[in-house]
Amino acid sequence: MRVVVADDAALLREGLARLLVEAGFEVAGLAADAEELFALVERCQPDVAIVDIRMPPSFTDEGLQAAKEIRVRWPDVGILVLSQHVRASYALELLSDGTDGIGYLLKERVSDVEELRAGVERVGKGDSVLDPLVVEQLVGRPRRGNAPLDHLTEREREVLALMAEGRSNKAIAERLFVTEHTVEKHLKNIFGTLRLPPSTDDHRRVLAVVTYLDSQ
Amino acid sequence: MAGLAAGLGVIWLIGNKTAGPDELSSPQDWLLGWSFIGSGLVALHIRPQNRLGWAMVFTGFAWFGSILLVAHDAPLFTVGAVLQVAYIAGFAYVVVAFPSGRLQSTAERLVIGGALVVAVGVQFAALLFTDTHAIWCTECPDNLLEVTRNDTIALDLREFQRGAGVVVIVAAIALLALRWWRASGAMRRTIAPVLWTGGATLVFAAFAVANEVLYKPLGPEPLRLMLFVISAVPVAILFAFLQRRMARGAVAGLVVELGDPTAPVDLRQALARALGDPSLELAYWYPAESRYVDGQGGPVALPEADGPRLATVVERNGQPIAALIHDPALQHNSELVDSVCAAAGLTLENERLQAELRARLAELQASRARLVEATETERRRIERDLHDGTQQRLVSVAMSLGLAESKLPADAEVAPLVHEAREALTVALAELRELSQGIHPSILTERGLPAALDDLCRRAALPASLDVSLDRRLPTQVETAAYFVVSEAVANAIKHSHATELWIRASIRSGVLVAEVVDDGIGGAGGGGGTGLRGMTDRVEALGGSLTVSSPPGRGTTLRVEIPCE
Repeated sequence: MRVVVADDAALLREGLARLLVEAGFEVAGLAADAEELFALVERCQPDVAIVDIRMPPSFTDEGLQAAKEIRVRWPDVGILVLSQHVRASYALELLSDGTDGIGYLLKERVSDVEELRAGVERVGKGDSVLDPLVVEQLVGRPRRGNAPLDHLTEREREVLALMAEGRSNKAIAERLFVTEHTVEKHLKNIFGTLRLPPSTDDHRRVLAVVTYLDSQ
Repeated sequence: MAGLAAGLGVIWLIGNKTAGPDELSSPQDWLLGWSFIGSGLVALHIRPQNRLGWAMVFTGFAWFGSILLVAHDAPLFTVGAVLQVAYIAGFAYVVVAFPSGRLQSTAERLVIGGALVVAVGVQFAALLFTDTHAIWCTECPDNLLEVTRNDTIALDLREFQRGAGVVVIVAAIALLALRWWRASGAMRRTIAPVLWTGGATLVFAAFAVANEVLYKPLGPEPLRLMLFVISAVPVAILFAFLQRRMARGAVAGLVVELGDPTAPVDLRQALARALGDPSLELAYWYPAESRYVDGQGGPVALPEADGPRLATVVERNGQPIAALIHDPALQHNSELVDSVCAAAGLTLENERLQAELRARLAELQASRARLVEATETERRRIERDLHDGTQQRLVSVAMSLGLAESKLPADAEVAPLVHEAREALTVALAELRELSQGIHPSILTERGLPAALDDLCRRAALPASLDVSLDRRLPTQVETAAYFVVSEAVANAIKHSHATELWIRASIRSGVLVAEVVDDGIGGAGGGGGTGLRGMTDRVEALGGSLTVSSPPGRGTTLRVEIPCE
């Protein structure tokens, strides 16, 4: 897979590039800001663009805006946004424009080569990736009264979280050391309890679940 | 009023007697005489102390007296002969002594004394030797003053009188010119009507005497025109007197108004009324910074000279206390401005002290706000430094460790150690993230208050509903203060209130940000609040806002913060 990296800090740009090479990706180019990134994407047509959320000139959410623009101009390019903050609102904003090939991960998460490889590969394949801490915030958020979420079993909540992170049934099964069939059973229960329309499409169900979690 | 009636009676008498024997007297003659006498009497009524009134009455009577020359009756004719040119002396006095009614200098006294001697003394002396039938006219009545006929002395005295008269009149004109040259702009405006009409009359009189026009019967048109001009002089004097009198009335009204202890006075309005300038503004001297401030303590710049507005500085004991910023027209009524300032002096000084207090308060407020802002800027800087420096470096170290971990064979002895180190670093990064968000939440800078409050709600340990309606970004310090107050209130509610639910509201109401944190807890939160809340109160008050806590026992707690945004 061909990957490009945009981060204004050279230290992190280079570090990330080395990790990506170690993980077996081809690093097609590095950019220091959004404009360089666009030029790079135009030239290299990468599978995935990894973008720091805070970039020049204003150092606020340029990465987020850049991700949106890439989504519009090069819809086939997967986008993995890296952040130093756990911001559910930013993640939701990203996903709202389409969950295919979109990821939001904390920066320190990708210091683990395996996590990085999995994240980039899933985004490259067109799946979505949400940082576990963001999902934890969404699932663990206190809810008033008799919330449907409170009726889920511990195991079902685990499955729900993994699903919200963007993982496939197969991946969830592997994680929890159960069969895919068991995962499917859990999912049926979860969707029933939350009164969500059952969905087998891995991509769409992420947004549905995340939006549900955010609205409750 | 009695004086006025008496005066009118005398005029009527003289008028009758004059008109009786002869029809020659023209309307202009009547106008002139009455103008002086009437104005003089009114002037005496307004200002009994001012001699100008008497001088004008004298001039008027002297004028009527000179008309008696045309009488066929010997005693009347003689009186007319004596007073023939006396009115010129009276007139000179009126013009030179205006507006005070006093002769200010030796030169003035000499000129006016000379005028009296020449116009009345020499005239009287000449009449002692004058046979009217020989020198003046054959049909004239007898000169009752004639002691002995001596044509030479009589003619010589008349000649001397003419020459001296021209000298005296020219000297009076010179005095007026000097007065004009020395007068300030305001003074010129006051004396202009009298001085110019009077001066023109005197110039004309000088020519008339020199050309012996006065010996001829009133005939030439220029003379008639001149009579109108002369008639205007006493009216001009009276007008000046009345204007000052009205001003004095305004000042008296002001004194009464300011002296009333039961009704608080809007000083600016009172002064504007007294000065007749609704656009009047007041600026108070602020000695600590040697500048002017308005009633609220805000800075005021005095207008430049020659601008569309003028400033008059009010002093007390040699120190400026205030400045009136007014319409330039008031400049020409400096006497009124001065008296108004004098009358309002004490009140102005009081108001100045209040304005000074407000200015000091405003300064204190500004310095508090600056302190808060400086603190805020510093916190933002620390957060940015943490993000761009320490956090990035630590992330970079974590990446290096991750790389090392990946390159190590799984069974390497150090592999667990490296993994452990990376995990510990991840925890440290999480802690650092919490710390830096506590110092300054970056989302506030990035997205503004609504997003920051939304983030706060998501992370709260209680179900929290958010209702924010802000249509624009607010000033940074307002957003920051509001955020930290809400954040502190949420933390307090979670810790102490035993609440099950929270509501956070924020909206703009007429330029003021109103934010509320409401819980359904046990209430009874102490009015003083924790030290955290005290700090928040300071912060809010530094921005001119307020913070209130309502916490009736058993009925939840509502914290409300209001911060002006303009």
